[in-house]
Amino acid sequence: MDLIISLVINGLATGMLIFLLAAGLTLIFGLMDVLNFAHGGLFVWGAYTGVFTYTLTESFLIGIVAAILTGMILGFLMEKLIITPVYGNHVQQILITLGSMLVLQEMIKVAFGPNAIPVSVPDYLAGSWELGEVILIKYRLFIIIVGLIVFGIFHYILTRTKIGLIVRAGVMNKEMVQALGINIKKVFLFVFMTGAALAAIGGMLMAPYSGSIYAEMGMEFAILGFIVVVIGGMGSFSGSLFAAVLVGLAGSFMAYYVPSLSLAVNMILMAIVLIFRPQGLFKMAKG
Amino acid sequence: MGMKTTNLVSKYHIFFFVILIFLIAFPFVADSRTLTILFTQIFIFAILAMSYDLLLGYTGIVSFGHAMFFGIGAYATAILLNTFEPTIGVFIGSMIVGILLSAIVSFFVGLLTLRLKSHFFAMLTLAISGLLLVVAEKWRTVTKGNDGFTFRAPDIFKDRIVFYFCVLACLVIVFLLLRRFVASPLGKVLIAVRENEQRTRSLGFKTLHYKVISSVVAGVVASLAGSLYAVSLRFVNTSVMTMDITLDALLMTIIGGVGTLVGPIVGSVVIEFAQHYLSGLAREFPIFERWIIFFGIIYILAVVFFPKGIVGSIQMQISKWKSKKEVRKTFALPEDKERAS
Amino acid sequence: MMESLLKLHNIHTHIGQFHILQGINFEAKAGEVSVLLGRNGAGKTTTLKTIMGLTPASNGTITFLDENIEKKPTYDIAKIGIGYVPEDQGIFGQLTVEENMKVAMRKVTDDALEKQDYVLELFPDLKKFWKKAGGHLSGGQKQMLSMARAFVNDSKLLLIDEPSKGLAPIVVEKVMEAIMEMKKRTTIVLVEQNFIMASRIGDTFTLIDDGRTVQQGAMNELIADDELKRKYLGIG
Repeated sequence: MDLIISLVINGLATGMLIFLLAAGLTLIFGLMDVLNFAHGGLFVWGAYTGVFTYTLTESFLIGIVAAILTGMILGFLMEKLIITPVYGNHVQQILITLGSMLVLQEMIKVAFGPNAIPVSVPDYLAGSWELGEVILIKYRLFIIIVGLIVFGIFHYILTRTKIGLIVRAGVMNKEMVQALGINIKKVFLFVFMTGAALAAIGGMLMAPYSGSIYAEMGMEFAILGFIVVVIGGMGSFSGSLFAAVLVGLAGSFMAYYVPSLSLAVNMILMAIVLIFRPQGLFKMAKG
Repeated sequence: MGMKTTNLVSKYHIFFFVILIFLIAFPFVADSRTLTILFTQIFIFAILAMSYDLLLGYTGIVSFGHAMFFGIGAYATAILLNTFEPTIGVFIGSMIVGILLSAIVSFFVGLLTLRLKSHFFAMLTLAISGLLLVVAEKWRTVTKGNDGFTFRAPDIFKDRIVFYFCVLACLVIVFLLLRRFVASPLGKVLIAVRENEQRTRSLGFKTLHYKVISSVVAGVVASLAGSLYAVSLRFVNTSVMTMDITLDALLMTIIGGVGTLVGPIVGSVVIEFAQHYLSGLAREFPIFERWIIFFGIIYILAVVFFPKGIVGSIQMQISKWKSKKEVRKTFALPEDKERAS
Repeated sequence: MMESLLKLHNIHTHIGQFHILQGINFEAKAGEVSVLLGRNGAGKTTTLKTIMGLTPASNGTITFLDENIEKKPTYDIAKIGIGYVPEDQGIFGQLTVEENMKVAMRKVTDDALEKQDYVLELFPDLKKFWKKAGGHLSGGQKQMLSMARAFVNDSKLLLIDEPSKGLAPIVVEKVMEAIMEMKKRTTIVLVEQNFIMASRIGDTFTLIDDGRTVQQGAMNELIADDELKRKYLGIG
């Protein structure tokens, strides 16, 4: 029993990190019809700048703030310089965002060196609680709570506020939103920056969880993010939470019971969904 | 875009001929083992990049899994040469095995995935090649995983110059065959699919069939490149299946010029040379260890500003210069407008 | 004569490489209902989209309230007072009726709220299904919601694309009445295939054929001119 609980907590924590990455991806795709293959670059930049600040100031919280700022700045630059010129052209988008991923990843090595950097959990989040036989690792619970809070905040914004309504309306019908007098480009920029910030938070939270950060982790996590977006349905916010938890749990259990399959299971999951239900499990209703 | 006047075609022919003579003479004139090996490498990647161009440039599909066919070819050759006697016969047999396997895999992958929109296709190819990479890593009894294994190549290839000519011959043959392929009626349909799939379909073409054919041909050619690559290293490990190989092919095709076939060759020359010299410079200036950044940036700029790459841009200049000599029309040709957009 | 609110002068529009509009001239006077008529594919819908900036004109001028708008982005065109009701109604299916109205209302002012109350009087169905998802409304209700959305802002001009399409005759009747009512407060440009309906509510007509304006005039003239109707509308 205690084993299952700790596997579940592991899976949930990983799932939440993937969710932070996938949430931005899915919103950007749903609204802008852009699949951002560079999203993992934002994740890894968030991790590095966050950890850098965390080490410098010895405050984990300031580190998170730094990660968010980095995400927003990079998001702003990317949307303006990289994405805007290729709206509407899928092939060019795929090519150009992949190129950006490459550059972002290599720039990490230039700025912070090519070696992995160890990261420790802040004191107040280190250690664990013991409930009878069950050991609850604090930091993992922290990630799960942060993930749920982020989901709650965004769910509120998307369903209860005007800007959220506009974003959702934009996902359904961009032309009409414009014809109602809303500058969709501003909304695009806003969503892109928010998505980038979410990815950066994910990267920063990931750092103490995995114990070290390295440049390639962006691409690795981005692939999980894509899988989640596909399974959850492109453009569906709740769908990506569901799929992220699914992928996290599947990964956690597989790693314990069938380790040789753990890498493949998510790929297979995505392939099955793409082949049989390419619109994802949570479909966006149009019109 | 083929040139129209016979005058220019023959100029092109002379140009290629001169280069070919140069490449044939090269190993004898320049007594440099390093350069011979570098050129061999360039030819191999040029073959791979041309196969990628068939997908990207002629059919308009972005695959992130092209490395898997390269890997299939490399492993087929490495495993067979390792298991049986390293003779020319086994080598040729292994190429054929690789080609057949690639044809089968690309056929089924294509059939399953090419119905999807470009985003999904790119991701699914990424996933499938990732899956194959995992298989290669886990199936250690056959592949030795990430450590890889060395094997003996046919004796005749021990002479680097012989191998050089072998690969050069492959490159020329593949180039000529692919050129015929894209100029054939079938190739024309592929270009139509790239330009407007919907309209091609409404003209009564089963576009899926054509896309699958394109991906099978591309897979087969990539497998051939993989076979040659394995022999050139006499070593194989899972790196032949990684995203890096696909990225190399992509960079070469984009920088050289998509949809030209010559472009990928030029691209592989540029990238391989630059990689060679920039990593040499890295000893003095560590920034050059990250040479991929420069390519990444050039690549991004190319996608936005020179989507036709080096060769495509030169061709455009030539045809502009040519059309100046022709009678000017009041309105731009529709063809030109398409290029501009 | 009343002043002209919207004026299209020699408008050309390309979509991709297709030259769809090849010279549209057209004028809408304040307080009138102007109807665009023509066969399927003549370019009526594209004309509305071009006014809206959704398929920008490649040539020609569009003036609205003495301002050139042909180069403006769609959202600016909407802001200066043109409301758009597309052929497919453009309802945000997952949003409720209330949320659809919220997205549409750019600024919550007394004036906007008064207009909202006014259209809800006009379309009581919308009030009834206030919390229902837009995607689950009937065709007629979607049409009403779309018109309400366009009207609720300070819209001096409404562009309505085939409001009767696919609706039951009794619903068409309702929609027509609503348009007549809205006419009292705004100017309307209507695309309509249903000639009976067009002739009843239109003040002026503009005939479009093959992307060109063929004729413009008072609706009464067209009703009397069997020759014209036969030639361009296939009726009479």
